[in-house]
Amino acid sequence: MTTKKRFAKLTALLLSLFLLFTVTACSNGNNKTTDASTTSNTAWTKNYKESMKGTTINLYGVTDAIIPVLDAFTADTGIKVANLTLQNGEILQRIKNEKDSGTVVADVWFTGGADTFINASESGYLEKYTSVEDANIPSEMKDANGYWYGTSLTIVNWVVNKDMIAELGIQMPTKWDDLLQPQLAGLVSMPDPASSGTAYNTVSAILQTRGDATGWAYLDKLIQQVPYFTARGSDPANNVIAGEAAIGINAGTGDKSLEVNNPQVSIVYPTDGTGWWPQPVAILAGCKHPDEAKVFEDWLLSKRGLEEVAKAQKALVVRDDVTVPDGLLALADIKLFPTDFKANATQRVDILAKWNEKVSQK
Amino acid sequence: MKRKLLYLAQAALIMVLFYFCILPIIMVLIYGLTDFSVIDQNLITRVWELLENSLFVSITVTCISVILGLIVTFTLKRFRFWGKGILKVLMLLPLVNPTFVGSIAFIMLFGKRGLITYRLLHLSISPYGWQGIVILQVLTLTTLAYLLISASIEKVDFTLENAARNLGASELTILFKVTLPMMLPEITAAALLVFLASMADFSTPLIIGGSFRTLASDIYTQITGVYNMQTAAISGIALVIPCLIAFFMERRIRNKRKYTSETSNPMDMEYQYVSKFVKILMIICTIGTVSFFVIEFSFIIIGIFTKNWGYDYTFTLQYLQIAFSKDLRPYYNSVQLAFITATVASLLGSVLAFLIHRQKIIGSKFVDFICVFPAAIPGVLFGVGYLVTFKYPLFGIGKYIFKDAPSVVLLGTGVIIYCICIARSINMPLKTGYSTLEHLDSDLENAAYNLGAGKIYTFIHVVIPMLKDSFFNSFLKIFSSTMTTLGAIIFLLLPKNKVAIQIIFQTITSESLGTTAALSMMLSLLNLTLLLVFYLLINWRSVLEEIERRLPCKSN
Repeated sequence: MTTKKRFAKLTALLLSLFLLFTVTACSNGNNKTTDASTTSNTAWTKNYKESMKGTTINLYGVTDAIIPVLDAFTADTGIKVANLTLQNGEILQRIKNEKDSGTVVADVWFTGGADTFINASESGYLEKYTSVEDANIPSEMKDANGYWYGTSLTIVNWVVNKDMIAELGIQMPTKWDDLLQPQLAGLVSMPDPASSGTAYNTVSAILQTRGDATGWAYLDKLIQQVPYFTARGSDPANNVIAGEAAIGINAGTGDKSLEVNNPQVSIVYPTDGTGWWPQPVAILAGCKHPDEAKVFEDWLLSKRGLEEVAKAQKALVVRDDVTVPDGLLALADIKLFPTDFKANATQRVDILAKWNEKVSQK
Repeated sequence: MKRKLLYLAQAALIMVLFYFCILPIIMVLIYGLTDFSVIDQNLITRVWELLENSLFVSITVTCISVILGLIVTFTLKRFRFWGKGILKVLMLLPLVNPTFVGSIAFIMLFGKRGLITYRLLHLSISPYGWQGIVILQVLTLTTLAYLLISASIEKVDFTLENAARNLGASELTILFKVTLPMMLPEITAAALLVFLASMADFSTPLIIGGSFRTLASDIYTQITGVYNMQTAAISGIALVIPCLIAFFMERRIRNKRKYTSETSNPMDMEYQYVSKFVKILMIICTIGTVSFFVIEFSFIIIGIFTKNWGYDYTFTLQYLQIAFSKDLRPYYNSVQLAFITATVASLLGSVLAFLIHRQKIIGSKFVDFICVFPAAIPGVLFGVGYLVTFKYPLFGIGKYIFKDAPSVVLLGTGVIIYCICIARSINMPLKTGYSTLEHLDSDLENAAYNLGAGKIYTFIHVVIPMLKDSFFNSFLKIFSSTMTTLGAIIFLLLPKNKVAIQIIFQTITSESLGTTAALSMMLSLLNLTLLLVFYLLINWRSVLEEIERRLPCKSN
């Protein structure tokens, strides 16, 4: 009998403990106050309805850095955003599966590689939408077919470990050809183009600007400099910060905080041009909250929305009327490669196949 | 009538178990092999290389971990020395730490700018490669081996050892002919678990492997980077084969040799007949292992509170502030997932263990196979299986029946991650339940039957008390492992139920080491605190007794 009682007691205790968690979590959950008074009379209110307040839209993205933007959106509109941060390919795979099964989870897809958005739009996973802010977004920063809009800019840069460069006794690298110096052999860190948008963008930009023959000749030599290709786009920067590599090919927003926080490194934008892409936003076809998703896109592309993006991501954005936040490099100081995103996306399979062949021959 | 119902219930149970444990893997196989045009020479050589890598790492890790686990078990259970209690607690440290967080500490210590390699030894060697993976996996999996093996040593009947001793056997003969054979079921079980966990680990090779890639990490990169589910499924098939072989080998060994003893002695025994030299050597080995855990743990803490690892060791609270300013809802989600999974899986598993082991229900071997099967399947692959299975209506088979069926699908619902976690955890209570039952005599139940007790009465009053320990034991294990499980659920999470471990895995790629370390330490502490709370709740009586026993001593 005593065992039975004891068992019951324990179960009760466990249960009450669990309930306690539930209660505390609920009370912590939604104490954000929505403040409608900050809503200024801008274009994004066109599709907005009061009834949208309190609904939750789901968002997929590749970075947590956008959370303040989502909070600002919720403060303005009362629409809540639940976000899930994933890798590019994971998102693509997810929306494919969700489309197949007819349960589209995410309403909005914001941030990621332009090639994944193009890939998704060609597979019919995205909803065409002409935003009320369409006129304010330059044509090279949005999809010609109207499936996505660019928001902030991501620019390929190098993270350089100054200490190691000094130890090697070489000049700070400034041009792409500088990466081929024999002293840097084994000390250049680069992600695998198959798994990193940054690396793929770099490879395809080099091929587009130099042409196929000279482009591949350069990449052949570059492959020899890299000890191994990292699985994720952010690894090279971490390698350089940790002193595992002297130079890492990295993606940035124009933000300098990496330099500020890590005095041993410096961010270099190659003077002979560099790869870039706009961080897109798109609405998913067949999503459960298409109207709220449209409001989100309109709001995000408004001056107010992109100001929040610029502030949160410390990034240059696609609208000229948004002031560049402090601590950012001016776009005029960076030379960008002319880039054909469509070609980037369509040639991906071929370029990667050739790349893998070359790497395996190394 | 009653009998018929019972059979029906059993059939339904088998169906459900089959559904969530086996079907996803069958679907992955089908998925991977639907289009043969992708399978060319290149793919085969690539997969073969990855398979070699995976096997090399896993076999090495298994050998080291099991041997270390044995040494630590014998030291902590058979020797008496000062500080044993502390070592026992510290041995559990890796349980609460996700493996890939260990990789941060590893780079901090052994990287090109690492504290030990660069600052202390003035070496500049790259820590990336198979060595890093092996060391990190050994650090986490030794604890797993230790836990299983130390549970078995308690059940070794020491009177048998004494009998052998009195008959003139040497200590070594006793060890190899008496003690170890009696522990064999758990040793092989430990070896299998370590092997499978090592094969399944995708995050460590991803972070620390450098150019060295394994099948598990390849599945992840194939999906996330190359956007190719089919090549991922093919890598998955290659990964499953050795796992299943190991799985069946272990069963053969276990079924061939069966030793049971009627007594169990949870007290620690003292080996008096071992030479001082061996004793000291083993204690040193144990302390060495434990101190690695402690170093790993403390360096994560240092990473949290210093500005810039390797360069600037000034004290800072900034990373802690960043961590706390983040949305903490995922931490709650983790606890909820772990708690529900642990409760349901332990309950289900304990009952199943009894049914299979004692009652010999219809197809009991098959049921056992179904339940343990997911344990042989690496988490990432199992997740992919759920993805391809449950995205179709009617629990995954609707694809073949209706073309335009209404979308009653599991994918995209919050339930699916609970299903997969329970399916993957159910083997744990089953295993501990078996080994409890294996060492306990069925005479007890038979006695109850003979005295006129009904089946249900016997179950509640005889079996449940016997299985209670195995239930709570596996509850704690499942709870802590679910808190840090990632592979299985990474493709199935929703924005609303994302868990802490996923956030940490993401921040490793995007934020400073300090923030990641702070976030993961928060998870570890949460895990540890809750485990402690649960432990106290479960053992409150014996804890109270222990305190009462000690109090008068202290007042002296």
